[in-house]
Amino acid sequence: MKMIKKLKDFLAFENKASQFALIFIILLIFAALFAPLLCRYNPAELGTESLLPPSFNHFFGTDDFGRDIFSRILYGARISLSVGFIAVAISVIVGFLFGIISGFFGGWIDFLIMRFVDVMLSFPSIFLILSIQAMFTPNIYNVVFVIGLTSWMGVARLVRAEVLSVKERPFVEAAKVLGLPTKNILFRHILPNVIEPVLVAATIGMAGAILTESALSFLGLGVQPPLSSWGNMLQDSQAYLRDAPWMAIIPGFFIFITVLCIYLIGEGIKEKIQK
Amino acid sequence: MMNKTTVVFFLFTVVFLFIVIAFEGCQTKTERLTKENTIIFALSGDISILNPILSSDSASSAVEGFIFSGLTKINENLEIVPDIAKSWEIKNGGKEYIFYLRDDVYWHDGEKLTSYDVKFTFDSILNPKVNSVRRGDYIIDGVPIKFETDGPHIFKVILPKPFAPILSRMGIGILPKHLLFDKDLNTAEFNTKPIGSGPFMFKEWIKSERVVLEKNPKYFDGPPKISGIIYKIIPDENARFVALESGQVDVSDIPPKDFNRAKKLKNCNVFEYDSLVYVYLGFNLKNEIFSDIRVRQALAYATDKTQLLNLIFRGLAKPAFGPMSPVSSMFESDTEKYNFDLKKANAILDEAGWILGSDVIREKNGKKLEFTILVNQGNKEREKAAVILQWQYKKIGAKVNIRLMEWSSLVKKLNSARKDFDSVIIGWSLGIDPDSYSIWHSSQYPYGLNFIGFSDPTVDRLLEEGRTTIDFNQRKRIYSQIQKIIAYQQPYIFLWYPKSLVAVSKKIHGLSKPGPAGLFVNIENVYISKDEQGD
Amino acid sequence: MLVKFLKKLAVLIPMVFGISLISFFIIHLAPGDPTALFVDPNIDPKELLRIKANWGLDKPIIIQFFYWLKNIIRGDFGIAYLYNRPVLELILERIPATLLLMGTAFIIILLISIFFGVYSAYKKDSFLDKIVSILSFIGMSLPSFWVGLMLILIFSVELNILPSSGFSNPLLSTSPIYLRIYDIFLHLILPVSTMVIVGFAGLTRYIRSTTIEVLKQNYIRTARAKGLPENIVLFKHALRNSLLPLITIVGMSLPDLFAGAFIIETIFGWPGMGRLGVSAVFSRNYPLIMGIVFISSVLILLGNAFADLLYLIADPRIRIDEND
Repeated sequence: MKMIKKLKDFLAFENKASQFALIFIILLIFAALFAPLLCRYNPAELGTESLLPPSFNHFFGTDDFGRDIFSRILYGARISLSVGFIAVAISVIVGFLFGIISGFFGGWIDFLIMRFVDVMLSFPSIFLILSIQAMFTPNIYNVVFVIGLTSWMGVARLVRAEVLSVKERPFVEAAKVLGLPTKNILFRHILPNVIEPVLVAATIGMAGAILTESALSFLGLGVQPPLSSWGNMLQDSQAYLRDAPWMAIIPGFFIFITVLCIYLIGEGIKEKIQK
Repeated sequence: MMNKTTVVFFLFTVVFLFIVIAFEGCQTKTERLTKENTIIFALSGDISILNPILSSDSASSAVEGFIFSGLTKINENLEIVPDIAKSWEIKNGGKEYIFYLRDDVYWHDGEKLTSYDVKFTFDSILNPKVNSVRRGDYIIDGVPIKFETDGPHIFKVILPKPFAPILSRMGIGILPKHLLFDKDLNTAEFNTKPIGSGPFMFKEWIKSERVVLEKNPKYFDGPPKISGIIYKIIPDENARFVALESGQVDVSDIPPKDFNRAKKLKNCNVFEYDSLVYVYLGFNLKNEIFSDIRVRQALAYATDKTQLLNLIFRGLAKPAFGPMSPVSSMFESDTEKYNFDLKKANAILDEAGWILGSDVIREKNGKKLEFTILVNQGNKEREKAAVILQWQYKKIGAKVNIRLMEWSSLVKKLNSARKDFDSVIIGWSLGIDPDSYSIWHSSQYPYGLNFIGFSDPTVDRLLEEGRTTIDFNQRKRIYSQIQKIIAYQQPYIFLWYPKSLVAVSKKIHGLSKPGPAGLFVNIENVYISKDEQGD
Repeated sequence: MLVKFLKKLAVLIPMVFGISLISFFIIHLAPGDPTALFVDPNIDPKELLRIKANWGLDKPIIIQFFYWLKNIIRGDFGIAYLYNRPVLELILERIPATLLLMGTAFIIILLISIFFGVYSAYKKDSFLDKIVSILSFIGMSLPSFWVGLMLILIFSVELNILPSSGFSNPLLSTSPIYLRIYDIFLHLILPVSTMVIVGFAGLTRYIRSTTIEVLKQNYIRTARAKGLPENIVLFKHALRNSLLPLITIVGMSLPDLFAGAFIIETIFGWPGMGRLGVSAVFSRNYPLIMGIVFISSVLILLGNAFADLLYLIADPRIRIDEND
């Protein structure tokens, strides 16, 4: 019972909007996980009836290849959510490592790492990602990897700041004098303080990752057919803006609402921290 | 007192105006070309070069066609008619052609065009140091054609044997000797700033943006009635349609799905006509997967052309089965069709040792049946074909990856010596003569148009015979055989014969009869008028 | 103050070095023949040898880096494929268009953010504040390419009042300058609108939160107690103080602006550096890609440095220090 209450507390937001956002995302995750069960059609299956508007048979209609859009949206959700999670996970891990090392060791190492962070912040990440995609065949793994490797800087700074502030505290000095391993202490005090701001940064990062992946797929440099990503669905829809506007409206809307909900969740977490 | 913020704002505005003006000032100025005297064409990909003996893609050829003239040209009935040559004689049993050149042809820089320019052009094509993909067109059975002059207005072509396609090959654009004799043709600046003798002069080429031509007032057939031609490069077919609708371009191809909508446009006339084009999936025959004919045959059986064409064209294209267009007089319809048959496809692959793995992809000797299809980015029909073929081939255990490439770099890749590609969806725009030596002869690899590496001794022999036979019926038999062999071998999977779908602004008149030669055959007769007369 | 100024400048140099190092590292990730990174490998063999010597391609990789640095400083980034022109030349040609697009969008974003940010801070939790907040969240979540497509659909296709692509009408090249400026202006409207819709949110919220902080400060209460009209309180005192950190934020949003320009330029056919980059990617034009990555990074760096400088000039506290 206590566990459930703790979970409920963790997930409850004061802000109604954030609450709804969380519910939506959880629903989306479930829908994505159970996509094979929920879809009547294979998302890559070519059909004979193309450009059908939404109907009972096809909840979101069909695209120009006769493929069921609802199935493609659900499988697209898998892509967007996994890219979001994994890219953010990579950036958090990398950022965390750099932040800890930088804050803990200080001195030259700190200086170098922070300058490295500055330089990385100067690179427009999309350029980097585009060039990497140019050199190798674009696919979903490249995308996740590169997004992750170009968005860790914020987390690094956050973690470093936290390490620095904890380092100064008297109990750390005391512990050093007593011969206790400072590393353990740092971890025990840093982690809890750092989780929440990092979580907020992670939500922003995830939103950004989803937007970046859809932009890349839109350009043709992200997820490749036959995988359907909301971004590459928008690319296909361009030619049919007038004949079949739902092809453009629906995936775009999903990107929008997913990103919005993630931002709202971030806001909710921020509010909880500030209490 | 001036607030700091105001100062900053003011500075910003000034900087911007400066940037805008500086930018405009950097661009070359064109003569007064207006909507009333200029035709704006939409191009789907950037041209790659403006040198007729070096270019190999249709975008570049189209533009070159207005800048350069050849000895002969094609009229709207696909007949060969005089251009620079006012007449010609055939002597010596078809082994000698004498062209009598006009005396009133001038280069755009004012110099007179003579037979020495013509000889220079053809010698350059034959020059092994020049990267011309057309060389094979002028070598018969290993013996290059001899080109001679007899005074400034007589040009002679000496053939080792009678050569049926020769007249149609004389239409290639002529280059000015006086500007190129001492330059390396492959890298000359001329290729981006050409001087020709045609009805239009080159004005500017802003890469990936536009090409601008101006009329040649001294054109020997009379100055064109319009002042200029602008090619706007718009790779996205949707954007082209929007540009057409809003009048930003006057001429554009129409995607099949928009054909019906285009017919309702108030500012354009829409044309549908046959072309000498076929689109195919070409296999790199040096690739170990494709060197086995059984794999190609299996893929052919797995190709459901009905579904493909339905989804892409809805009736505006016909399925293709062989290397010639049905418009051609030598078209052979009785060829191996490889009609859609999944069971057969699977059976062939099983027999050839390609075993289905647990990941539903076939494997043989540790190699997966996986390959990449290259498509030119922006051509939506071909992009869609790739996606459809990817799905169809999945059913027989093949994994297809699709890679989009910008047009001129795709062309470059196929023409380069390394040929690092697996397969490609691309088309050929054929000439009026059935001779396709440069595409299929084994000698045309790697420096000709035979970029897939096709090599069949029977076909080689037949190609050589077909060119040197003059009798129509005899030639027809030869080419019928060639088509049968190639259709059987499936070095390409022949996909479709597209119809040309073109929309032209109603203000443009003087178009030629719609046909494979296009609508702008006599560009010098085309004029712009607000009157809405039909034509 | 001069010392601070110089210190800021001095940091630039190792930063540029850092960017060069990372760019160099990335270039060499590319598979295949290294000459392909600097020029089209299918050229005249003599040229190829010259390129090899110029870039030290037969030497160990560390030496190659210094050759690379040497060339970069001289502005030599290699020869782009297809165009067969020096990379720097191509990029410089396109920069004004991108700057025009970004700059215009940026100024409008700035104006909107300042106005709405300050007012919604001032009228915190009011209806206006809530609306601004909702619009901000919406703006941040919209994919730029989607917005662009919708705008093209509405204004270019359906209503036909605005051009859908390109920088200017080629037919107007010889018309008088005011007509040309007007034409460019028309072509700017849709792409800039897209960038503004998608980009105003972040800055607006930032200004709002800094202004809220500032408004809590003592000197604001003092100003009000002095009887100053609200306008002056807001714009002279509050704004000036919340603007300072703004300058730094502006510097930090440069990469995003550039990134946005890439996609917008592609949709709208705007002939800037972004579109050049995207088409370079599709044609695997390595020299061009690397040149664009490096130059845009340096531009962002310079933008940040400029912002830092402005900060130095604008912050009265720093000047007071100097007078000690």
